[in-house]
Amino acid sequence: MLFKSVADVQTRMEQAGYIPSQEISTIVFLAQETQKPVLIEGPAGVGKTELAKCIAACLERQMIRLQCYEGLDESKALYEWAYAKQLLYTQMLKEKINDVISDTASLAQAVDEIARHEDAFFSDRFLQTRPLLSAITSPDPVVLLIDEVDKSDPEFEAFLLELLSDFQVTIPELGTIAAKSRPFVVLTSNNYRDMSDALKRRCIHLYIDYPAIETEKEIVRLKIPGIEERLLDKVVQTVARIRQLDLKKKPCISETLDWARSLMILQQDEITEDVIFRTLNTLCKHKTDYGVVRANIGQLIKA
Amino acid sequence: MVNLILKFVSCCRAADMRISTAEVIDCLSQLEIMDTCEEPLFQTILRANFAKSRREQGVFNRLYHLFFHEMPSGLNPESLFSEEIQAGQSQAPEPSMNELLRQLKESQDDTHHTQNQGDTLDRALMAFLGGSPLPFIEAVQKIHTQDEQASPLFKSNLGQLSSRLDIMLRINRLKTQMVQFLGSNNAWAEKDVPSVTAAVNRRLDKALEFLNTEPRPDNAGLRETGSHTLHYKTLGQIPFSNLTLEEIKAVKEIIDKLVRKLEEITSRRFSAASRGVVDVKKTIQRSVKYLGVPVEIVHKAKPLRKGKIVALCDVSGSVWSTARFMLNILYSLKTCFSRVKSHVFIDRTFDVTSFFMSHDANEAIKRILNDTRINYNARTDYGMAFQQFRDHHFQELDKKTTLIIIGDARSNYYNPREPLLEAMRDRCRRLIWLNPEQEKFWGTGDSEMLKYRDHCNEARACGNLNQLMAFIEALVL
Repeated sequence: MLFKSVADVQTRMEQAGYIPSQEISTIVFLAQETQKPVLIEGPAGVGKTELAKCIAACLERQMIRLQCYEGLDESKALYEWAYAKQLLYTQMLKEKINDVISDTASLAQAVDEIARHEDAFFSDRFLQTRPLLSAITSPDPVVLLIDEVDKSDPEFEAFLLELLSDFQVTIPELGTIAAKSRPFVVLTSNNYRDMSDALKRRCIHLYIDYPAIETEKEIVRLKIPGIEERLLDKVVQTVARIRQLDLKKKPCISETLDWARSLMILQQDEITEDVIFRTLNTLCKHKTDYGVVRANIGQLIKA
Repeated sequence: MVNLILKFVSCCRAADMRISTAEVIDCLSQLEIMDTCEEPLFQTILRANFAKSRREQGVFNRLYHLFFHEMPSGLNPESLFSEEIQAGQSQAPEPSMNELLRQLKESQDDTHHTQNQGDTLDRALMAFLGGSPLPFIEAVQKIHTQDEQASPLFKSNLGQLSSRLDIMLRINRLKTQMVQFLGSNNAWAEKDVPSVTAAVNRRLDKALEFLNTEPRPDNAGLRETGSHTLHYKTLGQIPFSNLTLEEIKAVKEIIDKLVRKLEEITSRRFSAASRGVVDVKKTIQRSVKYLGVPVEIVHKAKPLRKGKIVALCDVSGSVWSTARFMLNILYSLKTCFSRVKSHVFIDRTFDVTSFFMSHDANEAIKRILNDTRINYNARTDYGMAFQQFRDHHFQELDKKTTLIIIGDARSNYYNPREPLLEAMRDRCRRLIWLNPEQEKFWGTGDSEMLKYRDHCNEARACGNLNQLMAFIEALVL
């Protein structure tokens, strides 16, 4: 069921376990209404992929995911002919082929006769669909997540352009395949490299930053229902202060959740220097970040 | 509304944001869908369509504020959110401002009729006062991107500064002119004068602020990787510039070993990756041996996908010691890349690729050091080097090229010209800056590293063997 308004996006996503900001809900609603892909940028761990999953859940659609990496090409993203299967079928049908050409007088006629049947070998039966083709040939609309598109090669990015603007792809043996239903497309990027203007032009842009303190509290409350309000407040405040430090990798939402969970398991309800030191490895994943946090510890635990 | 958005888009374009017509159309259709009546929503829609990366959002936000909040209410979609915006601002009634500008222009025309309405900058400032910031934004953008004059004898970093000063003086002159005009003109009621003067001054102050502050792009994707693997305890930690001759020899041996190891790993990796799609033609050919049964399935060998490297090395003073090791490694590993090009610079750039093509890395480095065309006594000037690189070697950069800049970013207080670095970043796949200085010294003294860092995809300290090895492993593997 489609979203009816921005407010509807907000409510339904919250019900599905995702707390969207006003900006996120607006963009999601607009993307649905204009049928344009959304390009989401943001630091790792702020919920970019999660957003796509949540949209799929809210719209009750299947989610098809394409994880991008260097060297990803059409045969892995779009389709591939099942060559081995085609060859095996040719062998098995050898006699049948003999029947087909038995009435022909010359070689040219035999070739013509076989050519009339070549469609049988380049049909859906021998086509192995990959995520992109599955997404556009699916009879029911799906949510297509093209994850970490910045990791793919420029050639693949160029290839995506046709798909994202016209929702169709061209397979030489079969012709152009237009989408049976338009998928809701979400692209995510970690900014490993800049995307081309052509790709950006086809998308609505959304930047998701680390959440505001109140939003993050709501997220933790939602994911760890039993957490005490006092601890929650301290955890979120401390993480927000840690993010202000000049770190190589700032703690993301899932790390806040991990930290809150570890504090609950250790039955700590106060955040002291000692507690931070003992549990720091759930928050910081770089050796130098440990040093920075240690050096600023006084600032972090002030009331 | 359409006109308003179009005016805003021209301002954004003047500030070097790339906005296509398709994006404008998208934005308008989205505004129609939302039937917006709240400013945050309006701003979100504009931002989502016009600023399509985090880096552009800073420029967008600044222009948005200037255009929709600082300019006269005539520009505001008044019916939408004028109250919110106007709150707390002592705006003079626009009609009197416009009237003042008209009268002032007439009086200027009378006195300076020979000068043909003053020059472009004056007109831009008047237009800014009148509520159309476009010419002024264009003028400011021109200053940010203007080239310094490359004179072999006399070098100056004052080009931008003097253009900026010129505008500042004009703004002051305009303020004085306004006061004089209002004082001498009886047509103005006493009570209107202070409010109009205040409004004029406020807007000119905004122009001044716009001129003098430049938003730093939020370089959200910057990777700052420190090296934590201590490959070699003592030798690995000595800065390259402090190595003794014997240590240099030891370092070279280690580098050779590393090169061999990396070559072995990559060749193994590429051979595994070479199994591509089925080669139907060859499979059928081979099947003839087995009475037409395709027993042997042949795969098409996939060509190796290797990156191209362009290295731009500062060869002045202490940086050279790092650059030589870096170049040495890059050229020893040239089988891992499809092309390696290198340039050295102090105050101007030289293409040194040919040295490395015809000699081995150590010999090439020796020859570069003895090349008389490079003035080793010159003062490092990054801005000029970048400008020359842009003018002569820009075509070497494409979306498959990784640009590696090796330098301490100490530019002797010359104009750093960071927009040029931004342009390079736009053209290449990744821009990596290796700084032989450790992070804590970045931005101290004449180091422009913090400015440059905002435009890099990756910035690393790379001053000793451990850091260099970590970088090379990350680059090749």
